[in-house]
This record gives sequence, structure tokens and C-alpha cells, in this order.
Amino acid sequence: MTATTLPVRSQPRAGRTAPAGLARLLRVELRRNTMPWVLPLIALVFWFDSYRIAATLPPLWNSRTFYVLGQGHSLIDFAPFVAGVAAWMGSRDGRRGLTDLVTTSARSRFAAQFATWAATAIWAVGGYLIFMTATFWALSRSIVWGGPPYWPVAVGAVGVAAFSAAGFAAGAYFPTRFTAPVAAFGGLLACGMSSQIGFQSYGGWGLILPTNSNNNYGQDAGIFYQFLPDLPVARVMFLAGVTVALVALLGVRATAGGLRLRHIATVVAAAGAALAVTAIALAFTARVTSYGTVIPALHDAANDRPIPYTPVCGQAAGVPVCVQPAYQAYLPDVTAALRPVLGQTDGLPGAPVRVGQVATVFFNATGRGPQTSVGQVSTLRGEPPVLSMPLNVFNLPGSFGANQTQFTDEIKLQAVHAIVTRGGPLGDPAQIAVEAALMQHAGIPLAAQPRQVLAPSPWALPSNEPHPGTTYPRQIAAAAQRFAALPAATRHAWLASHLPALRAGRVSLAQLP
Amino acid sequence: MNVEISELSRRFGRTQAVAGVDLRAGPGVFGLLGPNGAGKTSLLRMMATVLPPSSGTLRLLDRDPGSYGPRREIRRRLGYLPQNLGYYPGFTVAEFIEYFALLKDMPSRQVPRAVAASIEQLGLGGKARAKLRTLSGGMLRRVGIAQAIVNQPELLLLDEPTAGLDPEQRVAFRALLREFGERATVIVSTHLVEDVAAACSEVTLMDAGKIVFHGTPDELIAQGEGHGVGDAPLERGYSAVLAAARS
Repeated sequence: MTATTLPVRSQPRAGRTAPAGLARLLRVELRRNTMPWVLPLIALVFWFDSYRIAATLPPLWNSRTFYVLGQGHSLIDFAPFVAGVAAWMGSRDGRRGLTDLVTTSARSRFAAQFATWAATAIWAVGGYLIFMTATFWALSRSIVWGGPPYWPVAVGAVGVAAFSAAGFAAGAYFPTRFTAPVAAFGGLLACGMSSQIGFQSYGGWGLILPTNSNNNYGQDAGIFYQFLPDLPVARVMFLAGVTVALVALLGVRATAGGLRLRHIATVVAAAGAALAVTAIALAFTARVTSYGTVIPALHDAANDRPIPYTPVCGQAAGVPVCVQPAYQAYLPDVTAALRPVLGQTDGLPGAPVRVGQVATVFFNATGRGPQTSVGQVSTLRGEPPVLSMPLNVFNLPGSFGANQTQFTDEIKLQAVHAIVTRGGPLGDPAQIAVEAALMQHAGIPLAAQPRQVLAPSPWALPSNEPHPGTTYPRQIAAAAQRFAALPAATRHAWLASHLPALRAGRVSLAQLP
Repeated sequence: MNVEISELSRRFGRTQAVAGVDLRAGPGVFGLLGPNGAGKTSLLRMMATVLPPSSGTLRLLDRDPGSYGPRREIRRRLGYLPQNLGYYPGFTVAEFIEYFALLKDMPSRQVPRAVAASIEQLGLGGKARAKLRTLSGGMLRRVGIAQAIVNQPELLLLDEPTAGLDPEQRVAFRALLREFGERATVIVSTHLVEDVAAACSEVTLMDAGKIVFHGTPDELIAQGEGHGVGDAPLERGYSAVLAAARS
């Protein structure tokens, strides 16, 4: 310690706080924040829970990002850590015995706390965005067409900010060492509840929850039609409102600063709460269309335009087969699966002259309201007939354990069903028996069909219709075996003369040869 | 006058921590002495604008700290070292002092120079980049003093500033206090009467929330003449005044 000459004292300033000082304060807080120390741990959890699984899913932006963003796994991976660390930072002055000293500072307590929170949030949100960028880059290496949805990323980023605000406010109001673990657990609980409520919420306020996976975006969003931003925008509004309200609450306290600041903080907190409530109200107006959730007040009609593309085509038994270019990796499987089916139906009345892919869309199942399940079947329409297949209805290889055989078997089943019924419900016994025989000659043994393909049925069943069992009823199985045992030419000739009647439901099981 | 206190009281529930204190102080170093629980820290916290008084009037640097605007202006020109100063273990010495310089709303451009000056004044140059968690108790106390003086305060309030300092540091610190006292009001609350004897131009002795003596150190020494308790003259004066106040 030296008694050197004291520097001349600078004239104290009156009036407003200099932004440069606040920026410098933020820089100190950024340098000494706890969040960067936790980011490697979050990275590990993120890799294990989000990226690792997303990378195994079909190489389509919607499939892969639906797991990470649509189901909110990326937010779930971040939220508990962010809430806990933010609570740790918020309780710092109280835990460290610095409350007296920071209280005597000229700068308002709110300004100091805001800088601490902002540094925490910048690290957390920055980490989230970097992780998502890296994830997109890594996932994109095997995706050949389209781009990722950005609005759900915004939801995740604002969600991270909201959890940081909630944790920080908890720490500031209850500055004990137990607040951080409690906040972390609270973050986990909030995400878990958000997901659980989401499983049952297809409409109403539950849609606003950031990890509610229902109706986020359709399975062919970003491929055939746009990712609709309506619901993500409402969620961003909700989470931003919550963030603003929670941060402003820090300025409402008597120790936060002057009366003017406290009044402004009160108004801002109320505005944040109003924004969140408005977003919830907007969620109540949401309706599910074929392509996703539409909120009329937020909807931009420009997003309803289909995405133009040039199909990629191959051939199966002389029939052109075209798919959307995002699915070009599956074209060989599709043509290989269709070849034995179309080979049997070549020349039949109403047999497809072309196979094309159609978009997988949301549908409205009887009695259940709009939901994300897809119940579409392949259809045979038009003159000359075109077989339209919604490929993403099927279990694409890699989607949650599905393999290539399951995928091709489903294509065969759908193609046969479309040709025999033109794409209606399950079918009558005669139709089922003919389908079974055709599938048997397409490479799926009769005994394997119900178990592997028809159970559960890939198409929507009226609620009062019995679900297919694990085996065909005895009479259907017998008729199918009898029909399959016919020579190919005989079978083809019978179909050529009876297929219209069979499709119309005018052939009984006993009438099958 | 930088400090003008009249009939100042502070009550915590049933405990009367400060009871009707009157005090005026201009530039100089003032020692605040008293036994444990005398009310020194409570008085200092009120002067530091941490605690609002229960009653009485308090004017600091010609301003009333009761309203926010003047209180903020006082805080810009105030330095305060609490009795139990915590710290952020991950901050370096320079960052900690810079942080509080910024909280004191110093002009951003002047902060680096002011931080460097206070680090030099407290002899912390070699530890400027050391994390606070690595410092000894005495070093941390010096960091606390450095943050208190970084804004060159006109009113410097130090609660037990020499606790944990070694004798050499204490001597240097007293010289620093004397230099500050030439143009600022420095109020030092302490148990160590030798600090008062060496550095203070005036001394105030508190007991049971009241001021029982106010004068120069020599006047306090004179109170102890003929009194047998204490090794040093100032200690004898301290004991004599307390004994008289309690009798």
C-alpha cells in the first residue's frame, strides 16, 4: 500500500446514466458469467437427447427438425440448466454478502441486475443459436433439398431467454444457495408439463406451450408447402411477453431505483404480461388446416402458396414413378416396391399409367378433432389413372426404428389397396382377399401380411369398424390362398373382367375364383 | 459540512440501535469508536444510504438522501467499505474494482485510470489480475478499500477497514486516510484505538446507540488521565468515557 498523490477527482456527473458505462458493465458481466462454464454440459445433453436422435431420422428437414424443434427437445435440454444458472447469478449479491455495497451504488440496482441478467441471457441464447446452427449444418450434409424452419428456432431462443428471466427473478427475490437447484428443477418440470399437456392439447391455450408438439408443422412442410409461422409467432409473442414481464419485475422493487424507474418497470411488466395474454388469446383462435396451424390474425396468405419443384422420376414395370426431389433418395426403394405390384396389374382397367407423390397433410379424424396424425392413403384418380402416394405417411427407413423392408412393404400394400379399392377404407372381404393375394405375389407372404403390414392399419378406420387382427379371418385367408394359387394369366384375366365390380363392392368372397 | 446529523435514530424491532445522534463533520478523518453493539455500524449504514433512519434528519454532502435524485448524487460521491464485505470469487482484483467504479456511475473513459490508481494506492499492482478466490483475507480487505476509494469520494465510510491488515499495511493505510482527509470526510469505524490515534483528527465514541464523547484524540486521552484501565493513553480515555457514561 502506498500513499501516492491522489489523482484529481473527476467532476461527478448529474443526470442520466451513460450507455457506455452500462456497456462496460455488461462486458465485465459477460467475462465473468457462470453460463459459459455450463454450456459444455448442455452441449453433452443436447448431443445425447437432440442431435444424436435427429441424425438417425430420415434426411428431410421437417422430420429431423420436428424432433429437435417441433417436440421442443432442444428447449428441454437447455431450460433446466439455464434457469438454474440464471438463479445462481440472480442470487449472487445476496449469497456473496454484497447487498449493502451494491445498494450504495449510484447506478440503479435494476441497471446492475439487468446487466447481470443480460449477460446470462446472451450466453444462454448465444449458446442455443450456436448449437442450432451446428446442428443444422451437421444435419444438412445428408439432406438434399429444402431448408430448415427458422421460426421454431426463434421460439427456442426466446424460450431460453424466458427461462433465464424466470430463474434470474427467482434468484434475485430469494437469494439463497438453494434457489438455483430449485429453479433448475422448476425448469425441467415446466418443460415436462408443457410436453405432457401438449400430448392432449390439439387446440386452445395449450397450443401456446413451447414444447407442445401438436400441429407445429406438417410432415411435408418445407417440401410441398411452407412451414406456417403462425403458431411459432404466437409462441414467440408469449415467451417474449413472459421474459419482459419477469425482467421488469426486478425494477418494481423498492430497492430497484427511483420512483420513475419503478413506475416505468411496472408499466413494462404489465405490457409484457399483456403481450403474453394476447398470445394465449390468439392460440384460442387457431385452427388446423391441411398444411398446419393457422391463426387468422397472424396468417400471411403468401405462406399458402405451394413450393414449386421439379420431380425426380424413375420407372417401375414401365410406369413412370416420380417423387419430390427431397425424397429422391427413396426413389429406388419406391420403384423396387412398385415393380412387382404394377407388373401384376399392367393392362387392367383403371391400372395406373403414372405414379406420383402427393403431400402428406393434416387430417381431421372422426370424433377426435384436428390432430397431427396422418391418415391418408394412396389413391388412384383421374383419367388416365394416376396413383398418388403420400410417401411421408409411411415409415420412412430410419424413422424411429423403421427399416427398408417395412417401408417397401407399406408401399406395396398402399399400391395394391389403391388399385383394388381406389383408396377407400379397409375394404370388404373380397377386396381384402384379392389384395392379400396380390401382395403375396409382390413378395409379402400371406402369413406375414396382417402382422407386419395390416396391424395397425395405416389408414383411418371408422370408429365403429373392428380393427384388423393379427391374422386374416379364416374365410378371407382361404379365399386369398385360392386366388393366389391361380396361374398368373388366369388371375390377370379374372381381374381384367371383374376389377370394376370388385372396386364397387359387388363381388362377394364366395364369388372369387 | 459533508455530514450533518440531527436527532438520528434507528430501531430494529425492539432494539434501539441508534438513539438520537447529533453529528457534524467536514473534511478530515473521524474515528468512530465504541464497544460491540454500540450502534457504529448502523450509524455508518445510514450514512452510506443503505438504511433509512427511523427518525431524525440526515444530510450528506449538502443533500437529503431521503429522495432518490439527491441520494443518487450522494452515492456518486460516496465510498463505502462494509464491515463484512463479500466478493465475487471469479472476478479478478481489477475487474472487481472496475465493476464497482461502473456501479458508482463513473464516466466510462475515466474508469481504467481510476482503477489503476486505486490498485496502486493499495499496493495491489502485483495482484491486479489475480482472481479474488486466490487472495488472503488481508488482501481482500485491501481490495475492499480500493473499491471504496476508486471514485475519489468526498465522503468515505470505512467499517473496520484495518481488520486483517498486517502492521506495515496498516501504517500505509493510515497515511492514505490522512491524505484523503485533507479534502474529504473520512469516517472510520474501528475497535483499534491506535488507528484513531495515528490517523484521526476527531474521534466520536458511541455506546448503547448514543454518542458519549466527541472531540480530538488528545481530548479523549485527557479523559483517561488517572484512569487505570488500558495500556495506551487513548485506551484509558476510551475506558474512562465509557465507564462515566455507564455510571
